[in-house]
Amino acid sequence: MNKPIIQIKDLKKRYDHGKITALNGLNLNIKRGEFVSIMGPSGSGKSTLLNMIGALDTPDSGQIMVNGIDLTVKKDLSQFRSQEIGFVFQMHNLIPNLNVLENVKIPMLEGNLNSKQMENRVMGLLKAVGLEDKIRQTPNKLSGGERQRVAIARALVNHPSIILADEPTGSLDSKTGDIILKLLRNLHEQENVTLVMVTHEPYVAKMADRIVYVLDGRVSKKGEQMLGPV
Amino acid sequence: MSYFSLILKNPFRNKTRSALAIVGIAVGIATIVALGLVTGGLKAATSETLKAGGSDLTVTEANSNFMSGTIDEARVNELSDISGVKNAAGVLRKTPTINNPVKGGFGSFSVNGIPRDKISVVDIDSVEGAMFSSGSKEIILGKTAAESLEKKVGDSINLFGESFTITGIFETGNIMYDGAAFTSLDTLQNITNSQGEVSTIYVQVYDDTNLTELSQNIEATYPNELTASSASALSDRINEGLGIIDSATWAISLLAIFIGGVGVVNTMIMSIYERTREIGVLKAVGWRSRRILGMIMGESIVLTLIAAVVGTVLGILAAEAGLSLLSGKISPAYSLDVFVRGFLVAILVGVLGGIYPAYRASRLPPTEALRYE
Repeated sequence: MNKPIIQIKDLKKRYDHGKITALNGLNLNIKRGEFVSIMGPSGSGKSTLLNMIGALDTPDSGQIMVNGIDLTVKKDLSQFRSQEIGFVFQMHNLIPNLNVLENVKIPMLEGNLNSKQMENRVMGLLKAVGLEDKIRQTPNKLSGGERQRVAIARALVNHPSIILADEPTGSLDSKTGDIILKLLRNLHEQENVTLVMVTHEPYVAKMADRIVYVLDGRVSKKGEQMLGPV
Repeated sequence: MSYFSLILKNPFRNKTRSALAIVGIAVGIATIVALGLVTGGLKAATSETLKAGGSDLTVTEANSNFMSGTIDEARVNELSDISGVKNAAGVLRKTPTINNPVKGGFGSFSVNGIPRDKISVVDIDSVEGAMFSSGSKEIILGKTAAESLEKKVGDSINLFGESFTITGIFETGNIMYDGAAFTSLDTLQNITNSQGEVSTIYVQVYDDTNLTELSQNIEATYPNELTASSASALSDRINEGLGIIDSATWAISLLAIFIGGVGVVNTMIMSIYERTREIGVLKAVGWRSRRILGMIMGESIVLTLIAAVVGTVLGILAAEAGLSLLSGKISPAYSLDVFVRGFLVAILVGVLGGIYPAYRASRLPPTEALRYE
């Protein structure tokens, strides 16, 4: 926990020909290995912030450095996403015609590992998320919690520096949600990966090392005080 | 699972839609293959037929159809006197009205009148039964015609309102002759009121005769009256006609391909619409745009290659069935060229049909794709 892995300065993003302001001069630093929750009301800009960090979207102005890479000047953002970022979505977003093993392997197809190396890595992760006995199942045969565990394994498969989780428990019941959160937290510690999670739920957010409250496209200290200490 | 196995797997996620797209393209490919095989077969049969004839030169009325011209019979003897000509035979060709058409022949059933002693000019060397006699109402039938008309030696046949006795059955291997009948020239001239007329003069030459010079000589002697063609020249003329069928084949094929191509575009567009979120996920996990483009293009080509295999099989079956129904004597001409053409067209349709959907998929902004419901 030393040098920031994510450095964001005065980040601005508008949509709909400037009519909607998503980010309005947001500043944020996140340290390497930190677990940060991002909270805020709907439309506050938290998902836009996550997309910016994950290089899925580009800012109108400002600077965003991730693991020493300036995303505002980097050309090959696909390579960046492949090597540095793992995404976990609210709706797991697994590919329906592929089995568990194949779904986890998908991000590795951009890399240079051979089939055996890929399989070893995937099997290791599926064991870590407790799905080693379901590798041939397709997503429609899995429960919501199991699907999200597959999605977590997929996010970690390329050894990313950062996991970006957008409401990872949003579509799960509270018991399954707790299991997934504990799993995410454990893997974040085991794999020494920075975890940035967007959530609406204060009790979920409190599992993080730090809570960042976003309001009207900026980090709000007032909101963080309102939530109280982690 | 590799990138390529994913490309092979994806087109079958919606089996019904993919099957319909495959059928659409397969019909086009089947058309190309079937027509290619049939025209090839016709060309080969024509060439064989012309080569099988015993004459070196065929003389017909200038500017007339090969089968239907009229020539003054006196020209037969005049041509015989030209230097280099060994033998000349005038043949009168008439088409009678019969109840059951001859299957396996070359066009409609014709009755040919030829002098008894010149029969070797049309390559009839042996006859089962006996040859017709000069001036009689005797006739010999080609094997195909006899089978089709259900006639045997000794039977009689009514032609042009006259009863002919079948004295013999012959087989030359030439589908034009084997589907026809031969009788005495003067008999046919008399009963069809064609005294002094022949349709074609078959000319045999000495070995050292220059066929081109002889043809030119005949045409110069009888300008605007006679045309002389060697077997190979005639073959070229007939192939020219078949070339028109070839062009029609391409036109029909292009139409079928266009329809099939639209089917591929539709299938692939539907597919990427349904998989918009998935494409967003692939981009989020680091897939490059060109990898997504390659995947969609690959899926499109997989569809059309399967269609090519199905279409080729259908085309072969259609050509075999069609030719055996129309004519048992002509078989499809199998050549690599026909199959390569079918597969190349399939790949072309796959590439052209896949470009737009693949480009769209590769250009999808990941955030929009992930939000897609």
